[in-house]
Amino acid sequence: MPIVFQLAWRLFKHEAKRGELTIILLAIVLSVASVLSLSLFSERLQGALTDRSAEFIAADRQLRSRTPVDEQWISKASDFKLNSAYQVSTRSMVFGQEELALSDLRAVDENYPLKGKVKVTTQAFGVSEPTNESVAPGEVWIDSRLFQLVKVELGDTIDIGDASFKVSKVLSEIPDAGFSVFNTDPIVLMSTTDLAKTNVTGPGSRVSYKYYFTGETADLDDYYEWLRPQLNREIHRWTSIEDDDSAIGRSIARAEQYFLLASLLAIVLAAVSIAVAAQRYSQRHFDPVAIMKTLGAGKTMVQRIYLLQICFITSLGILLGVVVGFMLQQGVVAMLAGTVEVSLNVWHWRPLAIAIFTGVICSVLFSLYPLLQLFSVPPLRVLRRDINTTLSSKALQFATSGIAVFLLMWVYSQNLMISTILFASGIILVALLLGVTNVLIMVGRKLGSGSMGSWTLAWARIRRRAMGNSVQLISFAITIMLLLVVLVMRNDMVKQWRDQLPEGTPNYFLSNVTEDQRGGLEEQFAQNDIDSGGFYPVARGRFVAINEEKIRTEVTKEDQEVADDGRQGLGREANLTWSTQLQTGNRILEGEWLDTWQEGDPYPLSLESEIAGRLDIKLGDELTFNIGSEVIKATVTSLREVNWQTMQPNFFFVLHPKAVENFAPTYITSFSLDESRKAEITKLMAPFASVTLFDVDARINQLRDIIDQVSMAVEFILILVLIAGALVLIAQVQASMDERLQELAILRTLGAKGWMIRFSVINEFIIIGLVAGLMAAISNEFSLYMLQTKVFQMEASLHFEYWLIAPIVGALTVGILGALGCWRLLSLNTGELLRKMV
Amino acid sequence: MKDGTCTNFSLFIFTDFEKENTMTTAPAMIETKSVIKKVNTSEGELQILHPISFTVKPGESVAIIGASGSGKSTLLGLLAGLDEVSGGHIMIDGEPLHSMNEEQRARLRGEKVGFIFQSFMLVQSLTALENIMLPAEIAGLSDPKKRAQKILEQVGLDHRANHFPNQLSGGEQQRVAIARAFITNPKILFADEPTGNLDSTNSSKVENLLFDLNKESNTTLILVTHDNELAQRCQRQLRMHAGELSEQTPILKVVSGE
Repeated sequence: MPIVFQLAWRLFKHEAKRGELTIILLAIVLSVASVLSLSLFSERLQGALTDRSAEFIAADRQLRSRTPVDEQWISKASDFKLNSAYQVSTRSMVFGQEELALSDLRAVDENYPLKGKVKVTTQAFGVSEPTNESVAPGEVWIDSRLFQLVKVELGDTIDIGDASFKVSKVLSEIPDAGFSVFNTDPIVLMSTTDLAKTNVTGPGSRVSYKYYFTGETADLDDYYEWLRPQLNREIHRWTSIEDDDSAIGRSIARAEQYFLLASLLAIVLAAVSIAVAAQRYSQRHFDPVAIMKTLGAGKTMVQRIYLLQICFITSLGILLGVVVGFMLQQGVVAMLAGTVEVSLNVWHWRPLAIAIFTGVICSVLFSLYPLLQLFSVPPLRVLRRDINTTLSSKALQFATSGIAVFLLMWVYSQNLMISTILFASGIILVALLLGVTNVLIMVGRKLGSGSMGSWTLAWARIRRRAMGNSVQLISFAITIMLLLVVLVMRNDMVKQWRDQLPEGTPNYFLSNVTEDQRGGLEEQFAQNDIDSGGFYPVARGRFVAINEEKIRTEVTKEDQEVADDGRQGLGREANLTWSTQLQTGNRILEGEWLDTWQEGDPYPLSLESEIAGRLDIKLGDELTFNIGSEVIKATVTSLREVNWQTMQPNFFFVLHPKAVENFAPTYITSFSLDESRKAEITKLMAPFASVTLFDVDARINQLRDIIDQVSMAVEFILILVLIAGALVLIAQVQASMDERLQELAILRTLGAKGWMIRFSVINEFIIIGLVAGLMAAISNEFSLYMLQTKVFQMEASLHFEYWLIAPIVGALTVGILGALGCWRLLSLNTGELLRKMV
Repeated sequence: MKDGTCTNFSLFIFTDFEKENTMTTAPAMIETKSVIKKVNTSEGELQILHPISFTVKPGESVAIIGASGSGKSTLLGLLAGLDEVSGGHIMIDGEPLHSMNEEQRARLRGEKVGFIFQSFMLVQSLTALENIMLPAEIAGLSDPKKRAQKILEQVGLDHRANHFPNQLSGGEQQRVAIARAFITNPKILFADEPTGNLDSTNSSKVENLLFDLNKESNTTLILVTHDNELAQRCQRQLRMHAGELSEQTPILKVVSGE
């Protein structure tokens, strides 16, 4: 064994020094570095995003309950090293100087919020600042709107239930306020210690309890495991930001999928480059193996020597890869500092373990077949140079590589769907390419019979190598395809994100606009150069019955007794609108839109499809609403899909204008105003005191920040993958150059002109790049379709432009790389070329 | 001289040889009986060696001459245990090479056989010294480095010890190969066109070195060449022609005697 070790070490040392291991080493370094930097970066980024998005629930986890929970549950949380906070909320009337209004009353303890910040301002609708203070006992912080509604100033007193409070701050934002714009009442924040004396949470009141937890994910999971058996599904709900179905939740989920996808592709790219490099490594060692065998080395000895060598190379590659990957990632983090937020508070072992695992698996599984070939080189090769190896099984090679790639993808992603889709696309691509190579042979045969130009030579070469080197074509095509998938996926995804919040997305909403005020407001908007989103008539109504069957409304305490056992209702007042025009972003799923209604028919109603499902309402059902003292009945004639991700007023219920013609409508509208013009709001709204203003600017900005950040991150990952792909292409060209060496030497010796050889090689690469690009574009469509519909839940789209771009870029890239590689070879003189071949 | 007569005559002589060998008590170093080699080609089975039988005594130097494609390299491959016979027997220093598997043949090569090739066959990523050490290390001999240094000195390349093959001239590479072949003190040395890739000056240098070392260590030498002059320096000459072997020595000796 020591001799074997010495021999292996000596070979390794010299070959490393002489640069003969560069390619395979580079391949391993590349795979480890790209996987490490990608997964480390995405882990850190996800850490930051999760942290950031956790702000939307003001914690890592939330336990919501309709009743107070056992004290012991909360004290138990600290045993699990968790922080906790709690909030009791209810809806209650607030009495100001003269007016009263319904408010969303939230009593919070001094730990609230665990994530994110409460923001306050010095004046209503002013620019908000985060605060670390908690509401002091005897005081309340109230929403800007309430100042309008109940006509109070800072320092005034308001009454809630049986107690009075001093208004000490203007509340502009709490982290977990939710995204709903119209159905919220203005928030009043108070201390939990004051709640009891208000007596608003007595028996019969509708109170919800929220318990917030933060801590390590593992601890949170452990706590949930402990808690779960005691939870009652009717009363309790355990949530995390992942359960969040909001625009942000979905964007983050999608971004995470994308990171996963990109890392998977990086792994596949790395695997391809290692496979190419290992093949080349093996071929270069046919001679030494034959010599050693001739000199009396047994098979075991040869095996041990080369397995040890692979160990050395792998270890060195992993070591260098880890260093490079870490530095790369640090560099990028430093570069993006200030633009993209990353969490430094991330455990590095997982990415590290994945990277090392990838390095080991790649180099072991992909060098398996080349090594087996190497071991089987007969000693007779020392006499008969044409004998290569006795082992030749393309099936075995494809099988081992295929299994290796699939296993890596599966183990890494733990997502069978993504792995299967990518793998299937790969298989389709390989099948396509094998077919195409056959066609090429036939076409080439016809074309190749002309005079001996550089194109003919190129064709002849491709034809001759067609089957044997289809592996090369396949690896080019796979590389290009993977790059396309990552690129197009990113474009589609970022576009869809940006579309959610285009420039000029409304950041203020107005409600309670009367018919008289509408004209004045429109005039104001025009004068001040403000874009308004149009006026929607609206009426707040109570949804009371389905097909004459009473439903639970539970809007206020007094209503509760009315129909406690009835069908499930909305749980709050409904905003009804009316129009014969279908709103943008809405789509009819079932039935017919309101404009087909004819006089004499029952009034039609269009219902949002999800709420229809939730409340079990079908087409043809008759719904009853109370608007004030009026009763309106309408029949559901259509179900609509609504894109809630657009920041526009959206409605569950749309009535026909005829049904509500007796009502004087109020309107809601939205407009967009730049942050810098925030001060104008007060002046703008002064003539319209009764109009309620909703400021969602903060929400929009939060959303936009996150989308920008995610887009940036996605962009970065795209660039990393592109670099990895480019390196793989270079390695492939380099490897195939070796195979051309002999031919070049012969052509050179026979006196072929430099330009002719050069052009024939370049042409050959151009043809290969063209074919690989086209094939890649085709299989790209397939994998994108599958990924977008099955994994990313996006609308699938075709990308015909890439059918043109991919072959051209493929031909150019591969051609240029080929030209560069060829340049190096042709700069050698014939003697050197011939010597290199030996 | 017509080939036909030569063959007939030599066969006669050949049987004579065999008698002589059986009479002596010294065991043969190489003994082949009816060795044939067939290969499969696209046009069916092709017999590239016709039954070949001959014996080589310890310490003898034998040249196998013949035109390209006559089968001399094939024969060398079989004798050296690099290839398997399709029929017949080969005994190397009393061991049945024909019935050994690849592992056993590798062991036998390591213990008893040295090689010199036309294309030198040095491991490109090992230095001259390390190339020479290689067989000694594989065979598990003690102090391979010291042995290698000594023999490198003998071939006059001690100043090139740490050079890699591609930094050496052809002649130097072949001298390294010779040093490598002798380091294990092999009983038999197979040389395949050892001067085929060298110019005349280097050729004679390498030739001299080869024969000097051979004489010194009393190694049995089997030398494949198409160079008649080189062949003449061997004690015996066997000629391969279209897969058939004939002894030429006696004729030449008779001729020279006459």
